[in-house]
Amino acid sequence: MKNNRVAVIGAGMTRFVRRANESSGELASQAVQMALQDAGLTIDDIDCVCLGTAPDAFDGIHMNGENLIAGSGGRHKPYMRHYVGGGTGVMSPIHGWMHVASGKFRTCLVVCEEKMSPCNPHPAGAFLTIFDHTTEQPLELTLIHIFSIEMCRFMHTYGYTEEEIAQISVLCKKNAMDHPAAQIAQQITVKDVMSSPVLSWPVKRLDISPTSDAAVAIVLANETVARNHCKAPVFIEGVGYRLDTAYWCTRDLAFPNYVAMAARDAYEMAGITQPADQIDIWEPYDPFDYKALHHMNALLLDKGGRRTKELLHSGAFERSGSHPLCPSGGALGVGNPIAATGLMKIAELYFQLSGQAGKRQVNKNALRGVAQAWGDLMQVGTVVVMSSEGGMPRTTPWSQKKAEDLPGTALKSFDEVPHFKYEPDLRYAWDNGQALTTYLDGLKKGHIRGSKCPKCNRMMIPVRQFCEICNLQAVNDVYDLPDSGTVQTFTLSNVNWDSSPLPDGKVNIFAVIAIDGATEEMGLIHKLSEVKPKDVKIGMRVKAVWKPEAERTGNILDIQYFKPVSDKGQSDIRPRQIKPVELDAISAQPFKGRIPMKYIYTAGQGGGRFYKDLFEGKLSGTYCKACDAVHMPPTSFCEVSMTRLDPEKDARVVNPKSGVVAAFTVVHEDRSGHQLNEPKVVVQVEFPEAFGSVFGKLEVKDGDVIEVGMPVELVKLSKGAGAEQITFRSRA
Amino acid sequence: MGVVVLGVGYCGSFPTSSGLSYRELIARAASMAYQDAGINPEQIDGAVTVEEDFISGYSIADEYTPDQIGMVRKPIYTVPGDFLQGIGSAVMQIKTGRFKTVVVASFSKASNVLTKDEVVGFAYDPIFNRLGVTPHYLAGIEMQHFLSGSSFTAVDVAEFSAKSRNSALCNPLAPYASRVNVSDVLGARSVASPVTELMMARPADAAVVVVLGTDDEVMDTARKPVYVTGTGWASGNSIIERRDHGISAGTALAAKMAYAEANIENPEAEIDVAYVCDIYAHRALMHMEALGLSCDMLPFVNPDGGAQAGGDLFEATSGARFFDAVRQLRGEAGVHQIEGAERALVHGWRGVPTDTCAVVILEGEGR
Ligand SMILES: [Zn+2]
Ligand SMILES: [Zn+2]
Repeated sequence: MKNNRVAVIGAGMTRFVRRANESSGELASQAVQMALQDAGLTIDDIDCVCLGTAPDAFDGIHMNGENLIAGSGGRHKPYMRHYVGGGTGVMSPIHGWMHVASGKFRTCLVVCEEKMSPCNPHPAGAFLTIFDHTTEQPLELTLIHIFSIEMCRFMHTYGYTEEEIAQISVLCKKNAMDHPAAQIAQQITVKDVMSSPVLSWPVKRLDISPTSDAAVAIVLANETVARNHCKAPVFIEGVGYRLDTAYWCTRDLAFPNYVAMAARDAYEMAGITQPADQIDIWEPYDPFDYKALHHMNALLLDKGGRRTKELLHSGAFERSGSHPLCPSGGALGVGNPIAATGLMKIAELYFQLSGQAGKRQVNKNALRGVAQAWGDLMQVGTVVVMSSEGGMPRTTPWSQKKAEDLPGTALKSFDEVPHFKYEPDLRYAWDNGQALTTYLDGLKKGHIRGSKCPKCNRMMIPVRQFCEICNLQAVNDVYDLPDSGTVQTFTLSNVNWDSSPLPDGKVNIFAVIAIDGATEEMGLIHKLSEVKPKDVKIGMRVKAVWKPEAERTGNILDIQYFKPVSDKGQSDIRPRQIKPVELDAISAQPFKGRIPMKYIYTAGQGGGRFYKDLFEGKLSGTYCKACDAVHMPPTSFCEVSMTRLDPEKDARVVNPKSGVVAAFTVVHEDRSGHQLNEPKVVVQVEFPEAFGSVFGKLEVKDGDVIEVGMPVELVKLSKGAGAEQITFRSRA
Repeated sequence: MGVVVLGVGYCGSFPTSSGLSYRELIARAASMAYQDAGINPEQIDGAVTVEEDFISGYSIADEYTPDQIGMVRKPIYTVPGDFLQGIGSAVMQIKTGRFKTVVVASFSKASNVLTKDEVVGFAYDPIFNRLGVTPHYLAGIEMQHFLSGSSFTAVDVAEFSAKSRNSALCNPLAPYASRVNVSDVLGARSVASPVTELMMARPADAAVVVVLGTDDEVMDTARKPVYVTGTGWASGNSIIERRDHGISAGTALAAKMAYAEANIENPEAEIDVAYVCDIYAHRALMHMEALGLSCDMLPFVNPDGGAQAGGDLFEATSGARFFDAVRQLRGEAGVHQIEGAERALVHGWRGVPTDTCAVVILEGEGR
């Protein structure tokens, strides 16, 4: 077979910060420029671009990948985004690998960007709507709840204490002190972690990685290009990625089987049979400290979990140890701009294996490393194995980089720069279809319903019309199940879905409950009540407390909560087969929902210049040497040459009164599609000195003839205004 | 090694589909594709799903992809892009030599989205381009640029729309087929001049699933294999202030890539049937220009009525065209069959505010 090895030959990244001044595209462009420089290439040498960014709900831009084309160097190139939630970062080099290993492209620029700060009041709020719209969202869950639930189950199964787990947080934050991009590197102790505020037991503040803004880019090349351009190429030797069912309450959360399967795929491709002995560096995903251990069990293919524990206790995970874990500092220390974090880990393997990690260089001759990311509903594992031919520690630009050498501007507050608020109106009415309608109908009648697959005989909740593991076998038999069950795992939460604290002393108890009569471990998530938080135990028997019949609407909240009962085990009530609901106009009522997000966007470097000018009634463009043109609107990078521009230093004054209408349209609808009483005119206006244009609305006076070529002037904006206020008027 | 289409499945399109959840809609199309390919999902090596979060209605939509295509715990990822980009990604996957069969799935459950224009408008750059008006404003700007830079007129655009809607009256999968003429289209309610309501595809629900495989391994299971001989995709500038709105650079570059791979030198002579994205009717003509297809080709463009008649399926729009193209090459397209069609072009565009486009070349068994 043809040689289709793929190598990493360069990397770039911005600093990881809580709140960046740069726009999403600007962050990406900064990482891209560094990566190209590191690889000794220009954008013209790049055949294609691959983009990773996790939920659009963070950056606050629908089809965020499309908005990032220019910043990622994708203009007029084959450009494609891929996405597996939190696992996206490590999926990115895999998708890039496909581009090159397929033989279709010689080089591929892989870019990961995440700007979480626009999402307000807290990015955690974006996680409310990752849950099933009908069966879970009404409970007002967020990611921290299910992490806590998973951590609880992990501790229970593997016998970890909170203190043992806290060692990972201590290690990562310490390692990050040597990372130039790090956001929250610090020397802390296990005691500090233990005494940090409990957010949702067992998770405490210092168990969690921060939210961050950043971008990371790497350059991939086929072996020929790699050998010509790179002293110490680091090859991608194995890739794996697996996605488990969306019904996350229906599996044991202690061991991430999907990560182990992805690891096995990658190891098989890389010829690894004994991962513990054959891998030198480990970069498992560590958004929470327990996750690093949880993932190590899978990466070591060690379902019993003994090896990971031994390595933790023996100090092997230290950078100087036999199995260095997150030598970068990981998500816990460097920061966690979701997709960018995963690619930062890939970059770390590149630095380490090519001997350019400087102060972070591990204490052994490292030839092989593994990086892994994870995401979705405790659901996806992405794994990459990389190897070098022996990169002796050496001095390179990357081995010496300090924080001040990296781009990325941290803001303390949005008020330091021009910024805009925006609230999209994202409303839905979910068709529940046959299966969920039958499920909701059961709730209304005071029953928890399941359906039974005739192939695998699983009694599944919630009701479904097909079996996801039996080749989409049709499922027709629906049953009323008992409304009792057993607590599989739980969390004692002090926070709301948007991360705001609950009133003092209030604790929400969420639990995954295996429902009696359903197949083992088939559960649902709900609240517990009528029990003291300290008395909640895994294995506890509970029963549903229903709303009065007249108040039930066919909603998961028809169950108010579950309360403890003292029966001995599965009650012997037999599930009762019932007829599925026959759908008609009344029964097929859709289930309403919304994505309740609010955003604050910084204007960024280019936009900052544009609006600061406009607040004074001025206009400027940015001169680009490569294009020998003044780019309009102002910009901090050229999307043609991918060179860095400075909207301040390279600013060229443009006369705001020299505008000419290049195109116009009369619009009859508002942003939501409602008919306007008075139509509005949108114009695209060009300026003779500049390459580009400005879009805005035209103030129409009686007698104005709107036409292409119409001379117009840009109207001064009052401070705080944004795109919606950009206005032109006739100069005639 | 060649890549072939082993099976296709389609459920839709419908203006609404309240009897089916999105899961049930997709499962139906998936079962049909597996049946068509003579294969079970457990035999398939990997999957690519094509969708965008806010259209699907979740913050992390890819969570909800594996179950209804029967690909739980398999290698699977999402391409938030055009359906044909998903095909391009799957073809690369197969060509790495690590995968023999890959399924590509996409859907639109647009009827679940109560505020579609809000979602589309949310794709505009927050710093410069959210003007507080209909997101279709860019289509108006584009159409004006396009008409002023070419020999086409608004009547030509209206004619394209009217023809698509009328001819699709014979296609049972096209819910927006209707008897309209040029003056109906031109005189329809103006949305963003010169674009009228009847020049725009209306949102619809549908799911499309395609099973791809290597030609050497799986030929015997496929009922009537169709070859994928070229894939290309490219993006115009995302900064709309510096994009040429009179042309589709994304289409031209994607076509160049696909034509080179499929050894096509003279597209008009070598392609028998073409499917071009027509979410706005002017875009169909603009795309034809970028694809190197003249007006003489019009009788062989979108014989199924395109999105004008079949509806805007968002990410899945080109998937509906792909489905029809496969049926054409198998000689199973029914009343709108183009006799002797051996080579088809399918084109996709991601809609405003993008110029991201993809092109796939398909060839029948007789190639
Ligand atoms: Zn089954
Ligand atoms: Zn330039």
